Amino acid sequence: MTETVASRATRLRGDAEKVGGSLPPLLAEAERLAMTVAFGVHGRRRAGIGENFWQYRRAVPGDVLTQVDWRRSARSDIQYIRQREWEAAQTVSIWCDDAQAMDYKGPRSEFTKAERARLLSLALAVLLVKAGERVSLLGTDAVQPRSGELQLNRIAMALAGDRVRPDYGAPPPAQYRTGGRAVFLSDFMGDKEQVFPALVEAAQHNVSGVFVQIVDDTEEDFPFDGRTIFRSVGGSVEFETQRARALRDAYRKRLAERRAQLRDVARNTGWQFSVHRTSQSPRAALLWLYMAIGGLR
Amino acid sequence: MLSLGALSFLAPWLLSALVALPVLWWLLRAVPPAPARRLFPGVRLLLGLKDPERMPERTPWWLLLLRMAALAAAILAFADPVLNPDVRERGTGPVLLLLDGGWGSAPDWAQRQARAADILDQAARDGRPAAVISLAEPRPGEPRLPFRAAEDWATRIGGLAPKAWAPDRAGFAAWLETVEDEGFETVWLTDGLGTDGDRAFFDALADRGPVRMIADPRTPLALTAPGFADGALQTQVLRPEAGAGRSVEIAAIGADPLGIERVLGTQRVVFEPDDGAATEVALELPVELRNRVTRLTIPGERSAGAVALADDGLKRRKVGLLAGGDAGEAQRLVDPLHYLRTALEDSTDLIEAPLDDILSAQPDVIVFADVGAVAETERARLIDWIESGGLLVRFAGPRLAASGEGQLEEDALLPVRLRAGGRSVGGAMSWGAPKALRPFREGSPFFGLETPEEVNVTSQVMAQPDPELAERVLAALEDGTPLVTGRAQGEGRVVLFHVTANAEWSSLPLSGLFVQMLERLAVSARVARPAAEDLAGQTWTPVTVLDGFGNPVEPRLLAGVDGARLIDERPSAEMPPGVYSSGERTVAVNLFRDGDMIAPIGALPAGIVVESMQVAPETPLKPWLLLAALLALAADILATLWLSGRLTGPRMAQGTAVLLAVTLAGPLAATLAVPQARAQQMTEDELALHATTDTVLAYVVTGDRQLDQTSEAGLRGLSQVLTRRTAIEPVDPVGVQLERDDLAFFPFLYWPVSEVQRPPSDAAYAKLNEYLRSGGMILFDTRDANLGGRLGSGTANGRTLQQLAAKLDIPPLEPAPQDHVLTRTFYLLQDFPGRYSGSEVWVEAAPDVEEVEGMPFRDLNDGVTPVVIGANDWAAAWAVDARGAPMYPVGRGTGGAQQREMAYRFGVNLIMHVMTGNYKSDQVHVPALLERLGN
Repeated sequence: MTETVASRATRLRGDAEKVGGSLPPLLAEAERLAMTVAFGVHGRRRAGIGENFWQYRRAVPGDVLTQVDWRRSARSDIQYIRQREWEAAQTVSIWCDDAQAMDYKGPRSEFTKAERARLLSLALAVLLVKAGERVSLLGTDAVQPRSGELQLNRIAMALAGDRVRPDYGAPPPAQYRTGGRAVFLSDFMGDKEQVFPALVEAAQHNVSGVFVQIVDDTEEDFPFDGRTIFRSVGGSVEFETQRARALRDAYRKRLAERRAQLRDVARNTGWQFSVHRTSQSPRAALLWLYMAIGGLR
Repeated sequence: MLSLGALSFLAPWLLSALVALPVLWWLLRAVPPAPARRLFPGVRLLLGLKDPERMPERTPWWLLLLRMAALAAAILAFADPVLNPDVRERGTGPVLLLLDGGWGSAPDWAQRQARAADILDQAARDGRPAAVISLAEPRPGEPRLPFRAAEDWATRIGGLAPKAWAPDRAGFAAWLETVEDEGFETVWLTDGLGTDGDRAFFDALADRGPVRMIADPRTPLALTAPGFADGALQTQVLRPEAGAGRSVEIAAIGADPLGIERVLGTQRVVFEPDDGAATEVALELPVELRNRVTRLTIPGERSAGAVALADDGLKRRKVGLLAGGDAGEAQRLVDPLHYLRTALEDSTDLIEAPLDDILSAQPDVIVFADVGAVAETERARLIDWIESGGLLVRFAGPRLAASGEGQLEEDALLPVRLRAGGRSVGGAMSWGAPKALRPFREGSPFFGLETPEEVNVTSQVMAQPDPELAERVLAALEDGTPLVTGRAQGEGRVVLFHVTANAEWSSLPLSGLFVQMLERLAVSARVARPAAEDLAGQTWTPVTVLDGFGNPVEPRLLAGVDGARLIDERPSAEMPPGVYSSGERTVAVNLFRDGDMIAPIGALPAGIVVESMQVAPETPLKPWLLLAALLALAADILATLWLSGRLTGPRMAQGTAVLLAVTLAGPLAATLAVPQARAQQMTEDELALHATTDTVLAYVVTGDRQLDQTSEAGLRGLSQVLTRRTAIEPVDPVGVQLERDDLAFFPFLYWPVSEVQRPPSDAAYAKLNEYLRSGGMILFDTRDANLGGRLGSGTANGRTLQQLAAKLDIPPLEPAPQDHVLTRTFYLLQDFPGRYSGSEVWVEAAPDVEEVEGMPFRDLNDGVTPVVIGANDWAAAWAVDARGAPMYPVGRGTGGAQQREMAYRFGVNLIMHVMTGNYKSDQVHVPALLERLGN
């Protein structure tokens, strides 16, 4: 079963071209997006990149004694605890839904949902890696949380890679690091029975995180009419209606219900939930994500 | 080919596809429209939802119908339907083309000629010999049908003219009996009016071969001879059969004081739908006008039948009565005027007044009953009056006998010299018996009247024997002594009855002869139509006769007619309808008399094929049906989109618009491109704006398309020349519809005269007159180089012009004099050529101004001529096409170019004249002005 050198080389070359075809623009764009967010955060919230120090906090009963910063405390009568930001490298697990449903874009949209999800994932990864965090991309080769440029490249490769994809995605079962962070980017349009248990399971691992539901405008507004057969992108589900327009309100109601359920899950598990439309600027979403991860403690 | 009435299919087998329509119906009904398929990730959220509204699963019936209609239209279209197909079969054998050719054919004579030419063409193509016979004309001399090559006849059709009398079908049928020819096809162009001999005619023709009758659905109208009743002119309008309501205008035509024929009065009469075939018209006119009426016509009908000629019977003369002495009230029966009054009262307008007043009233006749001398001043006036055409009738009496007038020398107021005193016969104191009358001799105006025996004369004044006495005697007594003498004096006459006007000297005034004699003398008009006996024995010569179109023409090659025939016979080739005269009296021979009717051709025997005169042109319906199918399909697209709810949103609307444009524009442009004149496209406001923003030359739209195009091209050419050479810069010319458009905007109207044009309505005439009065100018162009010689009557267009202009308020005209301002408004011109040259151009007659010695032209300053009438076809000379090249040839070589240039110069001068009036005439004052300025 030894592959010939030639065939291996051919495959390698094909892969390389595939990677080269999509990775650099994605990575470059993700970095550019990340830069805008990093600078924005920098200007407002932080003294400087690379500073570990965050603040001194008065020690309260229950604090571990070793945490007291004696040098600072010696200057007054109160004991201070020196807090550091990102003191220990966090593990952030990103799930970027790559199901076929994500390949959808409405007739007037510029990007598919998958494109937007990949962009956000990678940009977030760039930001986190720059901040020294360990990042893992769930359900791919880059599932091992690592840090550094190499991991970024690995994530980018993984995002660009081809896999057999289901019609609708659900968070893959994974070993979450306790105390880690998780970011789920998906449209959460899949079967309730598949999606919600996975979410709950992730939350039960004492992982706090963020759901971002990425939707297309048409999924939000349902601007259809006439006799129509709706089919999922993968073709697993079909639905025929006589007059699509008449279903608009019912659809919207269902969508709102789904969101409410997601919010409920989020509230119950201490996660956060947001909706991002592909027609909106990815920057706002990235900023929110970044802040949300930072805010989860 | 399959024919269904006027419709034929060239590819009828395609119609079998119509069978597929029900199948399609079933299919379309059974299969609902296909749903749209969409990828949509949110589909999971939809699962389990119930459709609140159900889309109609079946196509709605109207959409089905639309689609079926589209398909049916397409199938029909490809079956090549043709409306009014030309289904002429090749005939064989000779063709006899019979034209009725009488007055009833005249209104649409041109159409008949065209149809006849068409039939002959067809015969020529099929190589069939043909014969053409007009039933109104005398039969050919030899008993043989004049069969010849059809081509020979075709060239002669154009020269045929309708006759003024009815066709003689019975005569033809009788003649046909003597003809040997057989086995020919007869094509009969009929006027649709029945005659007595129709039955024999049909039979005679049917014996010889198949008969085709070509009739015009439009039937002619006719007028009966006018009469006089209740103070109004009376006539009857006849039509062949009672039918739909119709409004007819009757016009009374006669000479105005200048001798120009004008419409003296009009009357509109309406045939109610239920009315019979005849309706009465009464035209009330003042006496002055009524006496001038020469004929009544129906202006819309160009035929001899629609003209009723007037004669003496309509004239009521003004007669002045004057008696020498008043007999007093008690003795009415011895009143010298009593018998005259009684005789004339009914038929004339009597004036009894002093002589001065009578003369002032301009009577036709003055009757003196026993008047002796007349005062010197009155005498002079009286003689003047006689010499300008008056008739003085004198009756003798004691006063005349005693006055000694005319005894010594010939008196201007008496026809003969009289002997002193008189004579009395048969009285108590004299010998001899009262004298009876001698029969009137030939040549006397009384010739033909019975001389009743009871009339006798007891006293009379005697004439001096003179060499001329014999020829002056109009009536004499048994013994040869004159009873009535007469003499011409200037244009008038003097007549003397040698007896009194009452019963004192003779019993003449008591007899009917007295009235008849007065009538013969044209003192009184006839009240009733004369009987044949009245006119018998005299030769009546035609003064004016009618041609088939009802135009009065001078008689040519017509012999005089015996009086009895005028009454007994109907007009024929020897005696066409017209006015006949004998001596002082005139009798009109009209086609229809009081009580006559016209009737349609009765029941036709089987075997006669009837065709319509109007041949509808062959119209292929394929493009229209295809267009209908396309439209239906386009509508179907829209309807389908609408049904599936995809007809909303801006992009959809755009798409739909594009779709519609693509679907419709192509076929519409291809099939519906009907060129229209510019004036028709313009709305009223646009026209007004166009005409008032710039100077615009205008032409009258005649309805003849070629002519209108020429007019437009001509005015365009003239406008270009004006723009290039002068300060007048007209924009594109417009056509003016007289009935519709406002004329006030146009300084100048070019009116080419065409036979095609119908006379405008009264409203349009009112507009035209207003236009002329307010300073507009019309250039009439008969376009025939005035080949007829005289202005207006020589040619067909000239006659049309006369008809058109009859109601226009046109001043007296004269041929443009050499010094008319038109010759120098811009260029100096000597004549006004167009495409033709040399014919006279008529303009308003100038007031009588003396030519001043040393001045090149007369001092005429006032007024722009409202009309210019010519025949030079100017528009054709001016006409240029889109590239500016001349459209019609003018002359030959450089001479032609020169003539065209001169035509343009005339145009420039004319428009300059329109625009600047007589400004160039004013230049004659320049020397005087300069002098006054001290130069």
